Amino acid sequence: MDKTEIRVGGLGGQGVILCGMIIGKAASIFDGKHATLIQAFGPEARGSACSAQVSVADEAIGYPYVKNPDVLIVMSPDAYTQFAPQLKPGGVLLYENELIKVDDRLPAGVKAFGIPATRLAEELGRKLVLNIVMTGFFAGVTGLVSSEAAERAVKSSVPRGTEDLNLRALHRGYEYGRQILSTSELEAPTTMRRG
Amino acid sequence: MKLEGFPQLVSLQEGTRVVIRPMELEDGEAVFEFFGALPEEDRQYLRNDVTSRDWLERFVRSIDYDTVIPVVAEHEGTVVGNATLYRSRHGWTKHVAEIRIAVARPFQHKGLGTALGRVLVRHAIGLGLEKMIVHVVENQIAAKRALEKLGFRDEAVLKGHVKDIHGIKRNLLVMSNDVSHLWEAMAELVADYSPTIGG
Repeated sequence: MDKTEIRVGGLGGQGVILCGMIIGKAASIFDGKHATLIQAFGPEARGSACSAQVSVADEAIGYPYVKNPDVLIVMSPDAYTQFAPQLKPGGVLLYENELIKVDDRLPAGVKAFGIPATRLAEELGRKLVLNIVMTGFFAGVTGLVSSEAAERAVKSSVPRGTEDLNLRALHRGYEYGRQILSTSELEAPTTMRRG
Repeated sequence: MKLEGFPQLVSLQEGTRVVIRPMELEDGEAVFEFFGALPEEDRQYLRNDVTSRDWLERFVRSIDYDTVIPVVAEHEGTVVGNATLYRSRHGWTKHVAEIRIAVARPFQHKGLGTALGRVLVRHAIGLGLEKMIVHVVENQIAAKRALEKLGFRDEAVLKGHVKDIHGIKRNLLVMSNDVSHLWEAMAELVADYSPTIGG
């Protein structure tokens, strides 16, 4: 079975779990694949460590837990410190590059792509949508979910009335991802199928 | 900066169609003619002397689609409506926008003011703003009703604040549309602690 495992890590209030949920929703409901989501969060509303584990496959998924992800999305330094060593060798790291400094803890062959998601979200109007910028970045770099599926997943997940800003955030992240990929010699791992 | 989602084709009451799009520098003359053709009674509700070329120059120069976002409504190549969203990027009211709307007489009471207002309200929310305000003179009944349809409510009354062309003092209403609940709902959604997330 061709399965891609993803982990999203960050702090409560950054929309880590929503990011994972939208990726899973885009892959399963709108791209017709199978997906599972496991979420872990602290007791506080904001500031505590939290993470989401998402698996995407062409067939039903029997085991939803992710130990060594193919893709790691991190939005905080703590999440990077904790989860980066667990990345699969040759995997993909997507990180908030104004909050996180990448060091030598990455396993061999990992391809790292950074985005100033917090600043981009602020420029769009609300820091709140940094997770949606990261979601778009994920779609743009990995191609694991199609841009159409990501749009539909965002639209159906965010509060009514906030769709425009969220979609602009998604497009901003997506375009940033496509651009960074086109200027890089690196490509997404072959285990990932373009959406 | 480019505004997304334009031009928009809008059907008014009685089937008249207009195009709503961002105002560009080249529209200056057409907008000047539009304001110049408004009857004096309508122009008195405007904040500036729109018949002055100095005003036109200042207005056109201020367009940046970031803090001053004007749109025009066009019918058969003629500007028949103008609406502008003003906001500040700094300071204690940076979450607030002000909206101003003007519509040509033949297009009043046909839904054009509502259509222009709707476009800017939606744009303001898309910019992440929390509150919009408009100023309406108490006897602008149709305008007030249209704004209420867009979610605006009376917030303050400035008594005897304006004088009409007959010298009669009238109350000026400050109406507001508070959309902060949208962002509160979004903040709740990204809080990462609710087990009900995603429904």
